[in-house]
Formats: sequence, structure tokens, C-alpha cells
Amino acid sequence: MSIEAKEIEGINKNKFEPLIVAFCCNWCSYAGADLAGTSRLSYPANVKIIRVPCSCRVSENFVLRAFQRGADAVVIAGCHPGDCHYTSGNYHTRRRFSILMNFLEYMGIEKERFTVDWISAAEGHKFASVMNNALEKVHKLGPNRKLRDDRWKR
Amino acid sequence: MEKITEKIREIAKLALENGEVEKIIGWNKGDTFDDSYPVFITDVDDADSLIWDNFCVNNLSKYLIQQLKVSKKIGVFLKGCDSRGFSQIVKDNRIDRDKVVIYGLSCPGMIDPEKVKKEGLHKRLLSVKRSGNELIFIKKDGEQKASAEEFEYDKCLQCRYPNPVVYDQLLTEPVDREVKTLERFKDVENLEALSSEERSAYWVDQFSKCIRCNACRNICPACSCEKCVFDNEKADVSGKAKADSEEQFYHIIRAYHVAGRCVECGECSRVCPAGIPLHKLNSKIIKDINELYGDYDAGVDPSEEAPIGTYKLDDSDSFTEHGGEKK
Repeated sequence: MSIEAKEIEGINKNKFEPLIVAFCCNWCSYAGADLAGTSRLSYPANVKIIRVPCSCRVSENFVLRAFQRGADAVVIAGCHPGDCHYTSGNYHTRRRFSILMNFLEYMGIEKERFTVDWISAAEGHKFASVMNNALEKVHKLGPNRKLRDDRWKR
Repeated sequence: MEKITEKIREIAKLALENGEVEKIIGWNKGDTFDDSYPVFITDVDDADSLIWDNFCVNNLSKYLIQQLKVSKKIGVFLKGCDSRGFSQIVKDNRIDRDKVVIYGLSCPGMIDPEKVKKEGLHKRLLSVKRSGNELIFIKKDGEQKASAEEFEYDKCLQCRYPNPVVYDQLLTEPVDREVKTLERFKDVENLEALSSEERSAYWVDQFSKCIRCNACRNICPACSCEKCVFDNEKADVSGKAKADSEEQFYHIIRAYHVAGRCVECGECSRVCPAGIPLHKLNSKIIKDINELYGDYDAGVDPSEEAPIGTYKLDDSDSFTEHGGEKK
């Protein structure tokens, strides 16, 4: 079901501990994370969740700054299309981040580092699997150094 | 073009005399052959200095935002690309269409001084004349003819709107241009074909040249915010430190802010003193918008909805495996 970081083959945990920044919508995905927790599903501790009122609250600035200041991957999670608490927010998310995803790829960031997905409050399993997948992809790619701020220190 | 210059002066004089407009925005000729700079005229006598030549490349539409704050009615000369910028500014509710009188000029394509200098034709050059697709370089020691296509700006060679899309009065005959539509996104496709490492290296190299003069922002007809986010000290984005990441941040976010509103006038690349090919950023976004959400040309049809800021229930996306509802 879920893959823990230590189980992934060929990874030396001491060497590289990825940082994943996840922007989760308050109404669906954050509740989904809650459900994953109360259901005792395991998802990696590398994921740092930032709660936002709606997935379309996430500005392109946040994503870019995250990559510049330490993130190896960014996840944006919102309600399924049609289920937005504010009726249309995630439709805007879909357009805006489709464009941004392609644009960051154009800037040289691997597409696998940027995830946008729809996770409802009832999908604790999906939350765990999305985060595990994101971690798995980052482990394959290695640390992100593109667009990184020179002044950034870990 | 001399005939049109005469016409421009006549119209400017008339409009200022009978009080139709308070101010005219046009071009003047400077000292060098390629120096055609924007000028604001309120005095009828100054109208005789207005010109129209092969170097009137400067987009005049952006000046309207500032000038309409101090003038009630303004007459402005707009080429095809400028008129798209104008429409976009109107669509963004930055100016009142009724306060502007547009004198439309069909543009045969502007000449790139850099290309002239590259060929060494700028020495002892007095002026450049154009008849059809032929350029005549008038020098102190005689004349030289050449094909106009070799000296036009790259953006002009790709121009799909040589005739103004909006005007009150068209001063020229409409121009017909043949454009190789397949080559529209050639620059973008070439970059897309590279590996992500190569692309990253390319952009890091390009952005490292940036001196943060903000010329690209100031010339851009889509960058019309009252207060730019990069001028907001509290927004944590206006870092002026000499770190590559700040310049990368600036250019990526600026390109993204004009997504769906860029009118492809190519002025950002032209004014960049460091020679960063900024239009390649905007082209990429336009290409993606066209592919994902249908063909859209900003600043052409004001009734058409902008692709960013609107949505459809069955939109496609670039992040799910099935690409959204469609496909």
C-alpha cells in the first residue's frame, strides 16, 4: 500500500533527506491528511504541510520560493473539480498550475518534482499514496539544485 | 513613408488646432539614423517635427496610462502590434477608450539597427528609405540597396497583425504580410528539445546577465499594474541582492504575471540592455495556452475571455495522467 522511505531500494538515508512542501486546501486535502493520520496510514515525514484556504490561494511566488529555498518537490492538493468549497477555486488552480508546471519544466525543473492532485476529505489513502509517490520520485531524481538561492543553507 | 509623415503632421496640427485632442503622442527623429524616439506634443508648431520612418518601433500605447492622468483627450499613432497592446490596456481597465483618438498605421516591418550594424552598413549612413520590400541605405558616399527582409526585427518577420486591430482613422493602405506560421514557436521548440539540465543552464546563463533595470517591465503593455509586486517591500519578492535567484524569480514571475495578456510585441527583448531573449518566456506560455485551452491572441478581440482568470468545467490539464476531463 504505502512505501516508506527506508524501504526504497538503493537509498542511503544519511545522504539525502528530501524536503517536500505540500500546499493543502483546508476543506479537502488537509482533512484528507487528517484522515490519513487518524487511519494510521504512513506517509513520509519529509512532507511539510502548509494549510491554505483553497488550492487557488497558492501563488506562483510560493512555489518558486519553495524551490529556491530548500524544497526538492512541491505538492499542491485541492478538492476534486466540482467540489470546491468556494465553487470555482480549483478550476482556476487547474488552469494556472497547468501553465506553471509546463513553465517550470521549461526553466529546467523536472516535471516529477511538481505535483498537483485532487484529494478529498475522504481519501486518506490517496493522500498517503500521493505523498509516497512524490517522495519516491524525488529519491530517484536526487536533490534539487536548480533555481536554488545561493544564500540557501541547510 | 515621406507621404505618411506629411499626413501625420497635417492630422496632428488639425487635431490640436480644433481642440479635438489635447496632446499628441508620436515619434521624433534624433541625431542618428536609428533614433526615432517617442514625443508628447501639445503645441501646434511642434507638430512639424513628427515623423514616420523605418525605426518607429517604440510602442506608444503604454504611455497613455500615465498621460491620461494629466490630459483629457490624447491622439496617438499606433502600429499593428501597438494596437494590440492598446486593446489589452483597455481590457485591463487601465484607460478609457473614449479619451483616446487612435490614428492607425499599417506597418511594413521595422528595421533592426543591430542588424544594420552587423553588416557594417551604419558607417557614414544618413538615412534608410524603403520602397516595397527594398531598402535604400543613403550614405554620405552614395546609395546601397538591400532586401528589407534581411534587416527587419525578428519579431517583425513573425508579425501576424501588421494592420491595427483598433483605430479611429487609418492613415495608410492596409499591408499584406506573408508569415511562416510554422516558425512561430520555433525558438520555444528548440529549447524544449534540450534536456532539463541544458535548459536550466541556458536560463541560468541568460538571467545572470540581468541588471534589474526594469526596462522590460516598464515597456510592457501588459505590465500595467498601479503598484508592481516587485516594488512592494513587504511582499518578500523585491529582493535586490546580487543573487542569481532574485533575477530568476523576477523574470519567471513577471512572465507568469502577463500570461494570457502578452500581446507578443517583443518589446521586452528589444529594450533589454543585457540582450536576454525574454520573448522566449512569453512564447512558451502562449504556446501552452493555445495547446491546452484553445488558440487565443491577447488584445485582438476584447470580447473574448482571457484564458487565465476564466475556466471551463471540462478543461484539460498537464498534471494528471489522463490530462483532465478531456483526451
